[in-house]
Amino acid sequence: MIRIAAVGDLHYGAGSKEILRPSLQHLHNRADLLLLAGDLTRCGGPEEVKILADELRGLPIPVVAVLGNHDYHADRQDEVRRVLEDARVRVLEGEATTIDIDGVRVGIAGTKGFGGGFRGAHGSDFGEPEMKAFVGHTKTLSDRLDKALTDLDADLRIALLHYSPIEATLEGERLEIYPFLGSYLLAEAVDNAGADLVLHGHAHHGAEKGRTPAGIPVRNVAQPVIRHAYNIYTLDAGRQVLPAVAGGIS
Amino acid sequence: MSEPRADYLPEAIREKLIHDPRVAEQDLRVEVQAHRVLLGGNVASPQLKEKITEVAKELLPDYEVVNETTVVSAAEPDSEEPVS
Repeated sequence: MIRIAAVGDLHYGAGSKEILRPSLQHLHNRADLLLLAGDLTRCGGPEEVKILADELRGLPIPVVAVLGNHDYHADRQDEVRRVLEDARVRVLEGEATTIDIDGVRVGIAGTKGFGGGFRGAHGSDFGEPEMKAFVGHTKTLSDRLDKALTDLDADLRIALLHYSPIEATLEGERLEIYPFLGSYLLAEAVDNAGADLVLHGHAHHGAEKGRTPAGIPVRNVAQPVIRHAYNIYTLDAGRQVLPAVAGGIS
Repeated sequence: MSEPRADYLPEAIREKLIHDPRVAEQDLRVEVQAHRVLLGGNVASPQLKEKITEVAKELLPDYEVVNETTVVSAAEPDSEEPVS
């Protein structure tokens, strides 16, 4: 059984110091891995993410993150990434990583993702250059997610996103803003490649639980949704347990 | 701030709060009733809640600011969820 702690939308900035630290002290007794689903900062400042990085530094379990839209606001996302990496947080954007947990290879493919909407009501990369850029960005990141997941050689595969791949975890948000909260292209990528769990944030007024059209579990771990420092999900690695060898082979 | 038409005032305040780096919160609910501004939504810390009140008062010194935002808990969860 692999135990995954996850949270998004921490929005660290001035005044955030020590918000998470008390809940992290015993985390290694409860989880094997901590995943962060973007919007780690308020305005994308390296000085903001440093406050969070200092609380994550030295955690005895691996930490993997994607960035969110707030982390791009200051156009200093590369610096934000470096600050996290200096604290040994693995940051993914169209990339994947595999972590060995007691012999189980847990693969995580991550991207911020982007918007566009959902089946039957998705924007098209047609018309003005701004519209082409908007939907084109989602297509590019979804394609990268598909490839990163497909290429993973792991016993368990997790897609870590900021934007939502499905509508179900947006319920509670105003319908008018769904196109700014996610895209079905992310779900299609996950369903094409296969995964055991999808985690995302971004939708503060959404719902926690849903599934992709192919039935893969999706969890919205935005902190205002889960109302805890993190939630913990357990996944059965499904490994075939070989019978113990009794005696010699003749 | 130069005051927009009353119909557009809540949205103008919301935009100012999003773009003020001391707040940068996109999910605040803003209502204006006569000379009262009601603010709602979730915030991550008591410090941020106080800052939102401070910034709103700067923006609208002639209005009473009623900050009804909720500080979201950052406590450990009680249980785990098996996912399959």
